Amino acid sequence: MAAGLTGATGPRFAHASEAELARILDFYQVAWRYEPDVFPISWNASGAVVECFAPDFYLPEIDLYLELTTLKQSLVRKKNRKLRWMRLLYPETRVKLLYARDFRALMLKYGRLDFLYEVLGANGQSASSRTLTSPRPSEPAA
Amino acid sequence: MTIHEDVQEVLLTEDQIQGRVAEMGVELAHDYADRQPVLVSVLKGSIVFLADLIRATELPLAVDLMELSSYGAAMESSGQVRILKDLSGSIEGRDVIVVEDIIDTGLTLNYLLRYLRERSPASIRICCLLDKPARRLTDIDIDYRGFSIPDRFVVGYGLDFDERYRNLPYIGVLRPSVYGGPEPRT
Repeated sequence: MAAGLTGATGPRFAHASEAELARILDFYQVAWRYEPDVFPISWNASGAVVECFAPDFYLPEIDLYLELTTLKQSLVRKKNRKLRWMRLLYPETRVKLLYARDFRALMLKYGRLDFLYEVLGANGQSASSRTLTSPRPSEPAA
Repeated sequence: MTIHEDVQEVLLTEDQIQGRVAEMGVELAHDYADRQPVLVSVLKGSIVFLADLIRATELPLAVDLMELSSYGAAMESSGQVRILKDLSGSIEGRDVIVVEDIIDTGLTLNYLLRYLRERSPASIRICCLLDKPARRLTDIDIDYRGFSIPDRFVVGYGLDFDERYRNLPYIGVLRPSVYGGPEPRT
């Protein structure tokens, strides 16, 4: 799902941690888009796309995609594999994968460990619907 | 009980820091010879580094301080970074050196640089004691770097956790149990 920089309503985030990252980016006035692009990474013999990679965020001012991975380990492996193909097929495209430990460090830095425990729980998977807030996508910097 | 007991490991000793800061002071003196830069530092983490850095150079420099709201501390406010303390003087046409204690995500510095550039300085360079590149989310060119450090949660020499540990004379890794994290396996 794509969201314009000047959209009046925010996107519906798949995970509360994504909404939190969007709030942080908004706070520091870093423009972002949520899942604006889809990159095909696998095709069948007929040439049809069978697998894609859609990074969570795109930061247009610095031309960087961010993928947040705070889910269970099997999904992390899957994302790592997708990222390897992404880097192989689109070497000019910059993608940074934020692992659970990276997000945790971010929450620690901002004194938000309570949020981390609330939305991720002990196994780092759950996300309650009430925390899936949708901040408005940021305005481009002046 | 002392604050030292909450430190799991000393990452940079007092001697290492003082030695490197002295070198950085010489670098600044060389690069800014015959100029009078303004060192702009951000409260509160940078104060110890700034205090040592300005005494490590004999440049006829000026100092200014800013304070910005932090994300976590401002959760109940506007939702955007605010300037809690602005520059005291004009930087128009001046050579500015931004002095930072640590650069990790670069989000605060990214905002600060945008703000400073709007005030038309002659130049802006970045001087930081600690660089944690693994955490970077923005593109920041660091001109003077004290140390590049691994991705650990560090305190001391101005850096805090919950406003504590700034007065440690060294840079230490905080024991995870202090902030509710797991202790490393032995």
